[in-house]
Amino acid sequence: MVRLITHNLLACHVKGCTSNNFPLKLQDVQIALREAEFNEDFLRGFIPRLEWGALVQAAREVGDDSLPAEVPEMLDDEFLKQLHHVLLEIHIDEGSMVCPNCKHVYPISSGIPNMLLAEHEIG
Amino acid sequence: MPNQFLFVFAQAHEDFRIPELVSIAELHGFELAIPDNLDCSRPFAVLSLEKEEHARLLARRCILIRSVYEFYSRGSSYDDLHERNRAARPKWEKYVPDTSFKFFVNGYNQSIPKARQRQVIEDFSYMGFLGKIDLKTPEITMGCFEEYRDTTGTTRQKHEGDGNFREVYFGRLLEEGSARSLIKTFDVKKRQYFGNTSMEAEISLLMANQTLAAPGKLVYDPFVGTGSMVYTTAYFGAHVFGSDIDGRQMRGKSQVPGIRRAAAQYGVEQRIMDLCTFDVTQNPWRCGGLFDAIITDPPYGVRAGAKRLGRKKGRTTPVFPSEPRPCVDDQPYIPPTKPYELSDLATDLVLLARYLLKPGGRLVFFLPTVTDEYQELDIDGMLCEGMELVANSLQDFGAWGRRLVTIRKTSTQSYGPPTFKPTVSGPGDAPVEHVPAHRDFRGKYFQGFKKDHEDSVT
Repeated sequence: MVRLITHNLLACHVKGCTSNNFPLKLQDVQIALREAEFNEDFLRGFIPRLEWGALVQAAREVGDDSLPAEVPEMLDDEFLKQLHHVLLEIHIDEGSMVCPNCKHVYPISSGIPNMLLAEHEIG
Repeated sequence: MPNQFLFVFAQAHEDFRIPELVSIAELHGFELAIPDNLDCSRPFAVLSLEKEEHARLLARRCILIRSVYEFYSRGSSYDDLHERNRAARPKWEKYVPDTSFKFFVNGYNQSIPKARQRQVIEDFSYMGFLGKIDLKTPEITMGCFEEYRDTTGTTRQKHEGDGNFREVYFGRLLEEGSARSLIKTFDVKKRQYFGNTSMEAEISLLMANQTLAAPGKLVYDPFVGTGSMVYTTAYFGAHVFGSDIDGRQMRGKSQVPGIRRAAAQYGVEQRIMDLCTFDVTQNPWRCGGLFDAIITDPPYGVRAGAKRLGRKKGRTTPVFPSEPRPCVDDQPYIPPTKPYELSDLATDLVLLARYLLKPGGRLVFFLPTVTDEYQELDIDGMLCEGMELVANSLQDFGAWGRRLVTIRKTSTQSYGPPTFKPTVSGPGDAPVEHVPAHRDFRGKYFQGFKKDHEDSVT
């Protein structure tokens, strides 16, 4: 059930679509909140891998504006709890992700995104 | 001198035993010296560990451990055993004054008659334990194991050859192996959702151990199928991503995807990070260096063939889905796929792992091999700069077998994604350096692994 952490790792991979292909725009999404276990080490380890701006933007698109625009210097408990919620507890069950560049639509059905490409889109 | 422990192993998947021990020791960050002469065809081994706690950790996580004992003595006869046990007195002296205890005798490859069991136990009377005998809830349990040679295939009387053992071991029970019962927990037959390619529970658990799965880690299965390895890996605390070219494998028939239903049965649903449908050769990962481990059982063409996006040779006119595509039967557009040759897949998988793994991360996967043709070079030839072989364990099925290969990313450099270019082979091509035995495994399997392929269908 596409979590925002997953959304933050997926880029459009259509042949030739190499710029402005991330982040995928969320469209007509159905959101569900599901509790997840909190693991501080995991979060701290993952922050360097995140595209922060894209995460903040995606969170706003689904109606959560709790994250600061920049990663704070001090990673306190409150911030990590918020990050945990945004990354792991917001699920997109239905809807689609659209490439901002080539407009390819990746549909999400019962929480599984279909990232397959059509024949003319592969290298 | 470090402490010695007597390990009693399950006599199954012998080739997986040492890699599992070494992996779990590495996971918990302690030293484990494996003696050079360790014989895995025998179920007993005496290993040295710095702390008793280390032995307990192994017993709680290793699938192939039946139980662990504090080692007191061994011998090829009871005279030997008792002499050494007397010398080991400092180890057991503290239990003499007031500890309730129980003794038992066990035979491997032999059942020992009740009368002699009693005699063997009586012979330990010199230890002079003063505590009370308690068969139900003793404070300590002393185990004595007689190991006999395998007599499978011969006929003999019951108890014939009794006492004529190869070696006898004696120690105090430290911990029963508790991970072994997970084989029942993850029994595929009791699973909410499985398919014809689901991996058996014991091997799925062994694979999960090879990945060093633990809380806070992120693991990826690029050929997730029905998710067999996802459940065991998540059970050990890791978060798992799964992807597959065929979404139907992950979903099954009902609304809630099958993998999620089975994960919920094991209480690990929250650790399934996400499932995605895509072809790993056309993958949408934004960057590399994401995962602590990659675990997978790639399709090798016997029950399910590997596919990649593209069109089979001979069908050259591509059909472009027009926009909007006329919907014939309400089904979404399904792009064409073509076969993904196994040796290409294996080579690509190592390169993909080098791209997607964090430094020190592990790639754990199965590779089928033809027993007569297999050479070490088959595996070594797949390795590339920055990737190092950790373990290679064979599960033998006779004419063929499959090898559980564990590879570590040793390099801290970041590498780009692989090109996934198929190796073209045909008449007129430059000869390739080495053709691995798993190349065209499917063809060989269905020809019954015949030596000459002259009679094969052209």
